[in-house]
Amino acid sequence: MSSSRRGFLRDIVAAAARGVSPEQAPAPPPLLTEDEMERYSRQLLLPEWSETAQLALRDASVLVIGAGGLGSPVAMSLAGAGVGRLGIADEDLVEVSNLHRQHLHTIHELGVAKAESAAGRLRAINPEVIVEAYPVRVAPENAVALVETQDLVVDCSDSFATRYAVNAACCLAGVPLVEAGVVGWSGLVMTIRPGLSACYRCAFPAAPADAPSCAEAGILGPAAGVIGSLQAIEALKLLTGTAEPLTDAFLQLDLATLDVLRVTVRRRPDCRDCGAV
Amino acid sequence: MTWVRTKLELERLAAGETLLVSCPPGEALENVPRSAREAGHAVEVDGTLIRIVRA
Repeated sequence: MSSSRRGFLRDIVAAAARGVSPEQAPAPPPLLTEDEMERYSRQLLLPEWSETAQLALRDASVLVIGAGGLGSPVAMSLAGAGVGRLGIADEDLVEVSNLHRQHLHTIHELGVAKAESAAGRLRAINPEVIVEAYPVRVAPENAVALVETQDLVVDCSDSFATRYAVNAACCLAGVPLVEAGVVGWSGLVMTIRPGLSACYRCAFPAAPADAPSCAEAGILGPAAGVIGSLQAIEALKLLTGTAEPLTDAFLQLDLATLDVLRVTVRRRPDCRDCGAV
Repeated sequence: MTWVRTKLELERLAAGETLLVSCPPGEALENVPRSAREAGHAVEVDGTLIRIVRA
């Protein structure tokens, strides 16, 4: 990622706080601080990782849609890894039936907006991260406005309507997207680079008529943990360039049998979401 | 942390440039040369001085 919208915004905010114009503001420190070196030392040790990769994370702005079973591992992993600005969108309130899989929340946050509960937990995990809570439902009417200032979106929502809205918005805004879904013991993950790879609608042109929700079919907590962790890994690959993300394909996992299926997907020229991108 | 700092300093060098690391006797003096070699760099150790040529 050669430039960062978050870095630009940070300069503006910092300059405003000091009462100077952005042109007069000094550039942010280009290298990792001693504290950052220590905090991120275990990933900096990876041969594929580097200071450049860590700085790319620090300059990145990511929106996580959904603070539930998928959003919990995604947001906690990205905050821990050092993503500089993390937005988390969810309109729901924390319920006791969430707690077996949604580890962003505890009994102390029952009845609290999930976005606010999540933001508090993420700030506690990593105070260096700027966390923004969006206690709203992501829908076609607001999706573009929410995603267009991001470097990456990770969709952890639990409805096909939201997934299609997020996919369309990311295609329109040209923002990379990591999609996923999980129910029962199984789930799938797919990474989308608008204009470069197949999008969610290319893979799934229409929502299935009879897909059960987690509230109807149930969900194993660690299944959401596995699929969400895969989303977080895909996000880190996209943000740092340290490994090749899963594009033009989706990964389907059955965690009861541990069968993993990689399904190739092609861009559809007539796709209503990405066909014109 | 010594190898983390060393690794980051090496990333800032061009291939063929040399980094000198002074390490007190102990774990780091054993770990840094081994990790540097595993990363593909040329390493010489002279007492507590480690000379690493970036690959």
